This record gives sequence, structure tokens and C-alpha cells, in this order.
Amino acid sequence: MVRRYGSALLLVLVGAAVLRISLLSDLYLRYVQAGLRPYLVVSGVVLVGLGVLAAVVRRDRESYDDEHAEGHEHAHPHHGPRVAWLLALPALALLLFPPPALGSYSAGREAAEVAAQGVGSFPALPAGDPVELTLAQFSSRAMYDSGRSLKGRTVRMTGFVTHGDDGTWYLTRLLVSCCAADATTSKVEIRGAESRDAPPVDTWVTVTGTWHPKGKLGTDAAWPPVLDAATVRTVRQPADPYEQR
Amino acid sequence: MEDRRTVADGLRLLVRALVYSVLGGSALIAIATVVSVLGPMLALDLYTPPVAAWWTVFTAIAVQGVPFLLLGTVVSAAIGAFVPERVFSRLLPRNPALAVPVAGAAGVVLPGCECASVPVAGSLMRRGVAPAAALAFLLSAPAVNPVVLVATSIAFPGRPSMVLGRLVASLATAVVMGWLWARFGRDDWLRPPRRHAPATASGLRAFGAGLQHDFLHAGGFLVLGAAAAATFNLVVPRSVLDVFTGSAWLSVLLLAVLAVVLCVCSEADAFVAASLSGFPPTARLAFMVVGPMVDLKLIALQTGTFGRAFAVRFSTATWAVAVTSSVLVGWWLW
Repeated sequence: MVRRYGSALLLVLVGAAVLRISLLSDLYLRYVQAGLRPYLVVSGVVLVGLGVLAAVVRRDRESYDDEHAEGHEHAHPHHGPRVAWLLALPALALLLFPPPALGSYSAGREAAEVAAQGVGSFPALPAGDPVELTLAQFSSRAMYDSGRSLKGRTVRMTGFVTHGDDGTWYLTRLLVSCCAADATTSKVEIRGAESRDAPPVDTWVTVTGTWHPKGKLGTDAAWPPVLDAATVRTVRQPADPYEQR
Repeated sequence: MEDRRTVADGLRLLVRALVYSVLGGSALIAIATVVSVLGPMLALDLYTPPVAAWWTVFTAIAVQGVPFLLLGTVVSAAIGAFVPERVFSRLLPRNPALAVPVAGAAGVVLPGCECASVPVAGSLMRRGVAPAAALAFLLSAPAVNPVVLVATSIAFPGRPSMVLGRLVASLATAVVMGWLWARFGRDDWLRPPRRHAPATASGLRAFGAGLQHDFLHAGGFLVLGAAAAATFNLVVPRSVLDVFTGSAWLSVLLLAVLAVVLCVCSEADAFVAASLSGFPPTARLAFMVVGPMVDLKLIALQTGTFGRAFAVRFSTATWAVAVTSSVLVGWWLW
């Protein structure tokens, strides 16, 4: 059974796993970026279709072979390539226990940094009070904006909590440009009255506050940027746990 | 006589079946009990943050690879089933030395990750394209396609020289590798890609069978490569990089090695290169030239398609040529 329909089974399994994370839920955002969704859905449909087709063709051929038994052995090998069974590993993982989004562990392993760029002026911040920013936008403006567009503005950002030494804590978010393997870290130090008791690591929070200028623009002293928090609110993990480039 | 033998055979079969089912059954029950009791405890203990991160990165690379691999196998199966050999012999110059640069430039038409290019190169060889030309295509397709070049220009705003450098160094590497193969390559290193479709099959059936076989085969190796990449991704912290930023030579070699172990796909590697801000531009160029041509995932895929003897030699040589051409281009540009 497995020998006979192994290839078909594997194709259906992989296709089903891809559809489960892309079509039936938002789980794919834990692994890849949003733009890949249509390709994932198409791939999943094609794979499931291919698997069903393979099973049907195989059954037809088996009954044909039973009638014309000679030459059966070498006419067509019965099982697909053995290495293909490795595909069952990620497929079953995705179907049964989808691995979690990367969090504080990965953020802590990598020296967080802002893509280096020259100090210069930035376009004006969008209207809104508070203005919603990604951590990457906030960090690059805090470090490189000679126009100091953050000054006097209330900003709101969402991320998870990581702890530093001596009681400091950071609002942290991973940035993914293709898949989770290339995640890089942005973090902003949170200060202010409300932040005295740091929330537990990996809690998702939305922080509202104002920029606390620090260090000379464009130097290491300006990093990590600081936010004086007015409010810190615990939130659910967003559907897309990463910031996109 | 005949009857007695069949009865004895039947009895023997019955006894054997009984023994098997009792032994196997009790073993199964024992295993199931132990697993169901210990499993959750053990699983919770083993599911530490690093392990969870490993699984996430592992599945992420596999998920990311699936659409591109499928695209590549669809193209390769279509070439195998529908495009007659004479098309390629007419399109490509007869002389391999000329066919190589043409094939290298043709890499522009396949906008995808490196996962797609390996099966396509395999089916080109099956269709009678000179291996040297098919290999030049294999190297250039993921490295110089428009998607990758646009991503590079976004990752390095205001530095068009990075895009130009990437284009020139990648094309040069692909063409030089093609020529090297035409001159020194031996066909017995190259395991001829096998095809499981029945020889008598019609075009559509050959397409289906080829697609199924190629996808499963390459998919298995993609998973293998993803596991290796995820392991290195977690074992090598990026902070060790800071140690090496001082020396220009060391930093080029270090980033060229990092490109091999990290297996960032070619559409994203420019962003990773941009974030490695402590390194000189030549080292970052080397990272982007080596990455789409040599990495663990690709070595696994090539081993699956062309055999280990090929993958080891070809990847080593490509790595050396890619580093050399990045250094030369970097020296010319900066």
C-alpha cells in the first residue's frame, strides 16, 4: 500500500501542509513573507492534484499489469525516490504542530542593528496622533534623521519584550525579507514611569510614547534608540509576527 | 500427499502469523505505553527555545523552497516532455565555448530562487544541451535575474555600483565555470540524471511522471539542505562576525563561507548583505555572488540530481571562482 501509493501520498501530504498554512490560516506568516501566499496556494493545489492523479494512474496501471503480468518487474519501478520521504518531516510538522514564530531567543542571538545609512533628512512623518511606526522606521529615523522628524511626536509601536542587563527592557521585532532564516532584529529601549516593571520576556505589547534623543546622530552611541513610554498595553501576537522590508 | 503438504503449510503459516502478531502486538503495546507516558514529558523537555527556533527556520526554508522548486520542476518536466532536442541544438551555438556565454546570459529568463535552476539544468542536459552550457545556466539563473537585481538596488539605495558589481561578477563566474567545465570537466563525474517515466509514454504522461519524480527527488534534498542550513543558522551566531571585520582579506573569505552555510535565498541575500554593515563592500559583494551559486541547500540538490562526485568538485571550484571574481570586480569598482 505505502509502497504502491507512496509517491501519491507524499505529494498529497506536502500539498495539504502547504494549503493548511497558506489557504486555511495565516500561519505561513511565521515562516515566509506575505507576498508568497498566492504562490503557496497554487503550489499546494498543484501538489494535491498531482498526488491524486498519481494515485489514479497507478491504480489503472496496476490493474493493467495484473492482466499483462510479464515484464512487470522492470517496466516501472514501484516506489519514488527514497530520499523523498524526508519531505514528510516538515509536512507533518506543519500539519500537526506548526513551529512557533521566532521570538526572543533568536532576537537575543543576533546583534541587532539598523541597516547603516547616511545621516540625512527623511520625508515628513504621516499625520496621526499617535503615529503608527514599525520599529525599523523608528530606529532609522532616530539614528539618521538630521531633520529630527520624531521630535515632539507621539508614536505607537508593537513588538515583543526582551530584557537587557540591569533591568532595562526592549521592545523588539524581527525583520524578515524572504523567509525566517534571514531574520534580523530591531529593538528600542523603553523607559518611562510605566515601564518600571518590565513585562515578562516574549510578551507582545503595544507601546505609546515619545522619542528620547540619545547620542550623536549616525554613531554607535545613538543605538539602541530610546522611547519614553506613556502607556504599555499587552496585546495578542499579530498575525504577521515579523516586520516586512 | 499433496493434501497433507497444503495442510502442513497452512498450519505453519497460521503458527507463524500467531507468533508474529503476539510478539509484534505486545511490542507495539509496550512502545505505545512508554511513548504516551514519556513522550509528552520528554517532548516538553526537548522543546527548548533553540529547538523551537530550529524547527521554525527549518520549516521556513522548506516552505520558501516549495513554490520555486515546483516551478523549476514544472519547467524542467515541460522541457523534457514537450521541447524536442533540435530546438536547443538550433538555439545554442554548436561550439561549447560560444554556447557557454549564451546560456549564461539566458539565465536572466528564469526569475526564481536557486532551487528552481537545478532541475532545469538537469533536464537541459537530458535534452542534449552541452553540460558546460547547462551548468553556466544553472549558475547564472538565480544570480542575475531581474528580481534579484531589483532587490539588490533596494537593499543598497544610492549605490548602483553594487548592482553592477553583482551582475558582472556573477555572470563572469558562471561563464568561467562553464568554460572550465568544457575544458577540464569529465562526463563520468556527472551521473546522468535518470528518468523514471516509461519510455513509451505520451507527452502528457511523461510530463506528469517527470514532474512527480523530479519534485519528490529534489524536495527530499531540499529538506536535507534546509536541515543543514537551520543547524548552522543557530550554531553560528552573527555576532562572531564582528571579530573579523578588521581584515579585508579575512572578511571576504568569512562572508563567502557564511553565504554557503546560511543558505539565504538569492532574492533576500542583498538585504542580509546590507545589514552586515561592518564589512567592506567587496566582502559583501562576495556574499551575494557566492550565495546563489554555492550553499548547503544547493549542494544537497546538486548531489541529488547529478551525484556526489559532481557536487563536491563543482561547488568547490565555483566557490573559488566566485570569490576571485568578486575580489577582482570589487578592486575594479571601489
